[in-house]
Amino acid sequence: MIWPIILLIATPFLIGVSGLVVRDRQTLDVLHCVQAGIMMVSSMLLVDEVSMSGPVSFFYFLHADAMSAWFDLVIGIVAGTGTLYAVGYVGEQYDRGHVSIKRFRQFFMLFDLYLGVMLLAVNVENLGIMWIAIEGATLSAALLIGFERSKGALEAGWKFVILSSVGIALALFGTILVYYSSEQLLGITEEALHWSKLYEVGDQLDSSVMKIAFIFILVGYGTKAGLVPMHTWLPDAHGEAPTPVSAMLSANMLTMAVYAILRLKILTDQSVGTEFTGTLLMGFGFFSVALSSIVLLLQEDFKRLLAFSSIEHIGIALIGFGLGGLGVFGGIWHLLNHALAKSAAFYGAGLVLITHEHKFIARVTGLLREHPAGGVALFVAGLVLAGMPPFGLFVSEITIAANAMATAPTIAYGFFGVLTVAFATLLFQILRMVLGMPMETPSSTVGPRCRAFSTAAIAVNLGALIFLGLHVPDGLHNLIGAILPFFHAEGEYF
Amino acid sequence: MPTLPINIGSYLVNLCSALLLLTCFAIVAQRRLMACVDLFALQSVFLAVTATLVAYLTGIHHIYLAAVLTIAIKAIILPRILKKIVRQLNVQREVSMYVNIPTGLLTCGGLVILAFFITQPIVHLGFLLTQDSLAIALAIVLIGFFIMVSRLKAVTQVIGFLVIENGLFLAATAAAYGMPLIVELGIFFDVLVAGLIVGIYTHQIQEAFGSVDTSRMKALKE
Repeated sequence: MIWPIILLIATPFLIGVSGLVVRDRQTLDVLHCVQAGIMMVSSMLLVDEVSMSGPVSFFYFLHADAMSAWFDLVIGIVAGTGTLYAVGYVGEQYDRGHVSIKRFRQFFMLFDLYLGVMLLAVNVENLGIMWIAIEGATLSAALLIGFERSKGALEAGWKFVILSSVGIALALFGTILVYYSSEQLLGITEEALHWSKLYEVGDQLDSSVMKIAFIFILVGYGTKAGLVPMHTWLPDAHGEAPTPVSAMLSANMLTMAVYAILRLKILTDQSVGTEFTGTLLMGFGFFSVALSSIVLLLQEDFKRLLAFSSIEHIGIALIGFGLGGLGVFGGIWHLLNHALAKSAAFYGAGLVLITHEHKFIARVTGLLREHPAGGVALFVAGLVLAGMPPFGLFVSEITIAANAMATAPTIAYGFFGVLTVAFATLLFQILRMVLGMPMETPSSTVGPRCRAFSTAAIAVNLGALIFLGLHVPDGLHNLIGAILPFFHAEGEYF
Repeated sequence: MPTLPINIGSYLVNLCSALLLLTCFAIVAQRRLMACVDLFALQSVFLAVTATLVAYLTGIHHIYLAAVLTIAIKAIILPRILKKIVRQLNVQREVSMYVNIPTGLLTCGGLVILAFFITQPIVHLGFLLTQDSLAIALAIVLIGFFIMVSRLKAVTQVIGFLVIENGLFLAATAAAYGMPLIVELGIFFDVLVAGLIVGIYTHQIQEAFGSVDTSRMKALKE
């Protein structure tokens, strides 16, 4: 069955392009609800398909194996709820007269394009085209971050353009090096960049070239994944972008960048062994968790707070992948649950930002009483992000920590230390906002349309988080079983 | 197929790569913004010549197409856009920097040595024709980074980015005999769009901040 993957990737492009001709808001709203539905359903169907009957390919262009299907699920579901939320959020800006219908259409064209290229990046067969898709995501994100054209947004956007371009240039150099090495074996053809071919000859690739290539790619795509010390664009971009875009940056783009790094890690491991890449991933992961755990405490802006929490969680996932073994399970489970929780938290934060028109943590209290939807979203997502049972992030963190304890105790102690600080600080900041009595009267209320759409988006995300915390569907179980062999990992999960 | 003996071909490719590197140094040493743009265009012409040489010597035809695109996009379209921006914004034509020119040139010299050092273990794998170009390409990429971090104005940061792109293209053409055609086309498209987006941004930054001096943008930090 080929159509879930086609639908998943083609829908955002088609609906995005339709923005060129569709001029009224009502039709755009309907189209984007359809898009959200298609993305969520087709990503689940794709997971089902891949877990039952193996990889799906479309000519030599798309090839979705278990790895791709997993990331399709993460990006597809969150992109779906993100689209719903964007319809509500940007629609509210339009109702208030902050954006014209022209800007409204521009926003959705860019937003759909952005989602489309991200889905393309995790499914293409060709390493070079994956680079092009990721660059496409960078460029569309650049315009989305600066969308509000305030001084802050322009500064954040410029920083993002410059840093990401540098990162992506490094990744291209790494890609060229991979090709330089693989064309000696596969000849000067396009196939020398195909994942499936590369994995067949991976153990014959020259190990010194692959080492240098991996470093370039890790630093390059790591810039997009927000790894410390290349993270400096991330809090600014997440803080200043329109909130639906912040949610997509955090939940989807960082995840996509990790996907790219993992693909190359699998390839590099074949010729170099897992220790080289594992150590690098753990190093970057550890510093990301350590730095963000401290900054979380000092943060005064709630969107930047969530941004630093993203740096931390990507770091945790990378430590899992670096450890190998069941840590890989921890890593992928972590990415899925983090994406759902972080986007839900941003949806809640966006509602607060619309009604209070500022981003100070200290001036917002009692959200549970004041804002049922936004308060619940921040509260539940805060608990999830702080690794509370029964949610998925608890499972993944315990797995990673136990695995670290078994294989590298020194890393485990450090990991426990920074993790404790990070979660205590995050929980402190979130609880400060959601509990107690409202201290400040909101300067406005959200319209019914925005409230309906954002509540729907939040409900889907929180529902999925609770469901995954209590029950693991067979499809996902099989999919994890198919992903672990990529990393030469095995063991009992769940 | 080549009518030139392989070692003369190899010398020519190396000569062109070296000229590319030389223009990098010229950009670092140049104070006037307009001249920087011209030097970038000149560098792109050298790049196209290198690509044509490689295409001729190896008989791989799609590299010719890449050379034509290089001339069109990097030597004509992008320099025009950049010059238009410089004129429109009426930015001071002098380049402002964090480090002075002699220090900059010395640093770049160090970067070239570093590039040769990094690539030393892997050049022996390459094709005989273009073995030394990989190191030169990496050197150009590193100097591009240096231009980006050492300059204050948005426009010169863009030139740094484009120099990096040229270095990457040299790496792809010279070391790997060109990326597959579809990838190459995609990269050109992305570079062009990146150029346009940067143009949009500089314009908006000028309107919001009254200047394209990026050192004024420092509101966002911890």
